[in-house]
Amino acid sequence: MSTMTKSNIISSQQNHLSSTQATIDNSDDAALSELTLAFKLAFNHFEITSNQSIRISAITGIYGDSGSGKSTLLRVIAGLEHRAKGQLSLNGKSLQNSENKCFIKAENRQIGLVFQDSRLFPHLSVYGNLAYGAKRQTNHKLTIEKVLTLTQLTKLQHQNVTQLSGGEKQRVSIARALLAEPKLLLLDEPFSALDKTTKSQMLTILKAIQQQLQLPMLYVSHSLSELQYIADQLVVVSAGKISPSAPIHQAIHDLNSLGETSPKTSLSLIIAEHLPDYGLTRLSLPIAQGSNHSIYLPILEQSNDQRLIGQLLPCIIYARDISISTTKPEHSSIVNHLSANIIAIQHSKTNALVTLETGEQKFYAQISLWSAIRMELTTQARVFIQFKANAVHSYHNTEQTIHA
Amino acid sequence: MTDISSDLLALITTLKMAAVTTVILLIIGTPLAWYLAKWQSRFKVFFEAVVALPLVLPPTVLGFYLLLAFSPSSLPGQIWQSATGSQLAFSFSAIVIGSVLYSLPFVVQPLQKAFEQLGDQHLEAAAMLGAGPIDRFFSIVLPLTKASFITATALGFAHTVGEFGVVLMIGGNIPGETRVLSIALFDHVESFNYANAHLLSAGLLIASLLLLSFVYLLGNNFTSKQHRPTKL
Repeated sequence: MSTMTKSNIISSQQNHLSSTQATIDNSDDAALSELTLAFKLAFNHFEITSNQSIRISAITGIYGDSGSGKSTLLRVIAGLEHRAKGQLSLNGKSLQNSENKCFIKAENRQIGLVFQDSRLFPHLSVYGNLAYGAKRQTNHKLTIEKVLTLTQLTKLQHQNVTQLSGGEKQRVSIARALLAEPKLLLLDEPFSALDKTTKSQMLTILKAIQQQLQLPMLYVSHSLSELQYIADQLVVVSAGKISPSAPIHQAIHDLNSLGETSPKTSLSLIIAEHLPDYGLTRLSLPIAQGSNHSIYLPILEQSNDQRLIGQLLPCIIYARDISISTTKPEHSSIVNHLSANIIAIQHSKTNALVTLETGEQKFYAQISLWSAIRMELTTQARVFIQFKANAVHSYHNTEQTIHA
Repeated sequence: MTDISSDLLALITTLKMAAVTTVILLIIGTPLAWYLAKWQSRFKVFFEAVVALPLVLPPTVLGFYLLLAFSPSSLPGQIWQSATGSQLAFSFSAIVIGSVLYSLPFVVQPLQKAFEQLGDQHLEAAAMLGAGPIDRFFSIVLPLTKASFITATALGFAHTVGEFGVVLMIGGNIPGETRVLSIALFDHVESFNYANAHLLSAGLLIASLLLLSFVYLLGNNFTSKQHRPTKL
């Protein structure tokens, strides 16, 4: 996973657009899309502005509350909002420039879009819907058969699309978009209408597709846990303003200090071993985080599967689930306890949000104001944090559904 | 000429007029319905009213103004004459133009309604898959609104066959040119030739009934087969 430094991104957005475009043209890297977004869109008392470039290597998440403008942002990139004013380019190629009246139509942008409501063509079969995308492009790197396998639709290919379940419809929608062989795939809350199990299956499939095809994606969602599982970078859209993209865990932690309603710790842990006798799976903090602490969570299903060992698992621990103790909690049923240093305490009316660090890994604990005062917590203090195995959440779907 | 062979000639003229009118109506009515369905402006109602006018206006009113416009002394009549070399009033072309205006709402309204119901969702999806506007019309719009096209075609055709007032005003009664069934029927009644009047009336009645039954049959089949776009 390539992580780019924030300064890179910021420097490229400073007015010398043309020089950055030249360098991008030279490095013809299909697996790396650089989106330069600079636009201003206003209609119906609603305004969305952006003046920055987003560099998408794998899946970049776009997070925001409903009505924040994240779907509109995708529609602007797709070319479906003709009233958007400003400049927009992809891989150095201008898609839109209001100054010289340039507007590349949606059908010529080579950008795919998966809609929230799958929008399958009801007069065509599953295969017909897929062929619709395939017929209208010239690369032919992907075959319909390969995409059917990738999306596990081979058995359904002759079905009428109106008879499919929600999850199947979205798989057809993704498959159809893939077959148009876009340079960038946009996904607008594709799984928001699905139940949790189906959703985690879909996320696993999508992640596998991304890795196989090396196709850059922009994934819009209002669910941080979903984004945390699937994205490596995050852009936050709030009241029509777009933040610079940041690595996913950092971006989620940044939201905590901005008064996010449910602050959380976001981290990737290495799956170390399964302990079926105790019903737990042991994870460890990556060595790079300067600590070899173990964290336990309820055993991942089918965990005799040794393939998972060594893989990184994105996890979320809500700050309200982490408690603080000044002494080592040796007589507790709570399985996870780590020693940590307090680096910040943020007070609100009813509680305190404590930022802690163990090695380089940050943790967030939300405790009552009363506890914070009673325990006389101060920054630099060395304490112990503890949380139940059940408090470690992950979207991971252990039914390994992809073997393409 | 015997009554039967003159009626046959009137039948052929009628079918020819209705067929040519329907083709023209589909060609101009489709884009017109499309723009009315997509256009968002407060002037839209005015244009909708203009299209709907033939539904309420006495056909003779329309025929009267067309007659004035088609006369060689008025500008449209003059342009036509200098372009084609023949007079527009009392010609087959005149009754076709009159019929196009007269039957316009019967083609435009069902198509406009179908286009409005279709919405933009599938068209946007098609555009994202690389389909241009013409491609989208033939690959998405046409198959999804097929039932409405059949309805519009049949209604436009049937209504043109049944036309009387406009043709009477601008067509005159020229056999083989502008003498259509409804005019022939009027002639028979005027000359108390009730046997032939019965033949034409019953024929038109049954043919219209069959045509409309066919339209509703197709309509029903399509709506049950063709599923409306379903939400997740």
